[in-house]
Amino acid sequence: MWELIRVNRRNSILLMAVMAGCLVGLGAALGGGFAGQDGLVGGIAVALAVWAVLAMISLTAGDQILLSSSQAVPITPEIHPQLFNVVEELKIAAGLPVLPKIYMIHDPTLNAFATGRSPKSASVAITSGLLARLNRDELQGVMAHEISHIVHRDILFVTLAGVMLGSVVLLSRIFLRSTYYGSMGSRRRYSSRGSQGGAQAQAILFVIAILAAILAPILVQIFYFALSRQREYLADAGAARLTRYPEGLASALEKIAGNTAPLSTANEVTAPMYIDTPFRGGRALHLFSTHPPVEERIRILRSMSQGAALKDYVKAYRQTMGSETGLPLSVRKDTESVDLRAGSSDRSTPANEKTARRQMNDWARRASGFLFLPCSCGVTLKIPPNYSAGNVDCPRCGTRLTIPR
Amino acid sequence: MDCPVCDKAMITAELHEVEVDYCASCNGIWLDAGELEILLGDPKQADSAVSSFQPVSGANHPVRKCPICRKKMEIVDTDGTGVVLLDRCRLHHGLWFDRGELPTILQRTSLDSSGRIRTLLEELFIRNPGKE
Repeated sequence: MWELIRVNRRNSILLMAVMAGCLVGLGAALGGGFAGQDGLVGGIAVALAVWAVLAMISLTAGDQILLSSSQAVPITPEIHPQLFNVVEELKIAAGLPVLPKIYMIHDPTLNAFATGRSPKSASVAITSGLLARLNRDELQGVMAHEISHIVHRDILFVTLAGVMLGSVVLLSRIFLRSTYYGSMGSRRRYSSRGSQGGAQAQAILFVIAILAAILAPILVQIFYFALSRQREYLADAGAARLTRYPEGLASALEKIAGNTAPLSTANEVTAPMYIDTPFRGGRALHLFSTHPPVEERIRILRSMSQGAALKDYVKAYRQTMGSETGLPLSVRKDTESVDLRAGSSDRSTPANEKTARRQMNDWARRASGFLFLPCSCGVTLKIPPNYSAGNVDCPRCGTRLTIPR
Repeated sequence: MDCPVCDKAMITAELHEVEVDYCASCNGIWLDAGELEILLGDPKQADSAVSSFQPVSGANHPVRKCPICRKKMEIVDTDGTGVVLLDRCRLHHGLWFDRGELPTILQRTSLDSSGRIRTLLEELFIRNPGKE
């Protein structure tokens, strides 16, 4: 494991350095373009300052930014006792110093992620859609995969990359907008003559916009490397070891792969990244895809017949993939033995999926401050926290209900 | 979620384990694609119910924004005559019914093949004292 942790540290530093280099280059181009020699120094100074602020923010609040931008709400044991129970078990099994903070994202898609700076300040988040569809063994598999990311220190790098990527995308949007509106304004104001300075500034902004537009997909690629295939395989191996039941994660992955939920806001943010990737098609796609094909991951997990240790995962990996070159040496040399356990008796999915999904949505709403008003006619009214009136009429029977605030 | 017409917070009404959002001040109704999936039990059916309508252009109808993605919704024709219109999110997040649109639409179309959407909306929003 130490090898992994070292690689993650090195990558995090590398990422910060690349980011600093890009910003300094931009600052130099901008400053030099506007004000020659003096501007060059100023531009670099400003760029370094921006970098320092960015680095501070992503190191101290990166996880909070990612969590709040995905609209994750912290949940309590009362809301989902089973989830807390599962995470507590895994915390002990993985030897984490503290219980990771647990968040839920109110979204019908099936997903989960881990973020944070270190095992001492880590968070896991899961969508209400996924929570509603998994049985205990599957939930344990998914959470063990995320907790393995925490143990392997994948989270720091991914969090840094996510925040950096987000800010570059934001910057490139600001620049693109400003060139757009800038050109509109100048067309109106200086209809025929044009202004020398304005045109120059515009040209520079345009160059920056293009640079940012080029930079963003490259950073997306770094982000994808962050979630590289090797990390995913290793988190799967870690999950099998922690749960001693590879089938749990395998069947959860099957559910995630088979789902065709309608487009949500979360997908909308990630979809452009997929389309924009400059390395499309053929071999490149194979090299640059981040998550290994889910069928392969399922097949490896399912062929772990002799044990749940890392060496058993390596063996199953070799059987499925033909070689073990995708795995780091320390994992291949691991000798610890871990026995498989039997699946728990509760193998069924939540009995009624419709009810389970409704419950999960309700928990998510309660967690974000909704008030629930049952009307005697059978309708339940759910009042959002920003609803200002003191009472509400039931749309079905017309009864006036008072909102207790 | 805020009302696309008056920007006020919408109330969610749940009946038979399905939620419908509505605005208490303008009486508009938001039918969410995820809820349609729960109601019809199948994402494909839910999507076909949303995508069955033809978009119309140049209609005398204000443009609304989808309460989920805040993008402009398209105006669709519910019965082929171009008279009864409703708003649909271009990303298929759901359907928006303005005040007054609902009774006419429910009279003319059932919205899905099984008629379950119509039954639910009638039960929730069309008050019929004789029936209760």
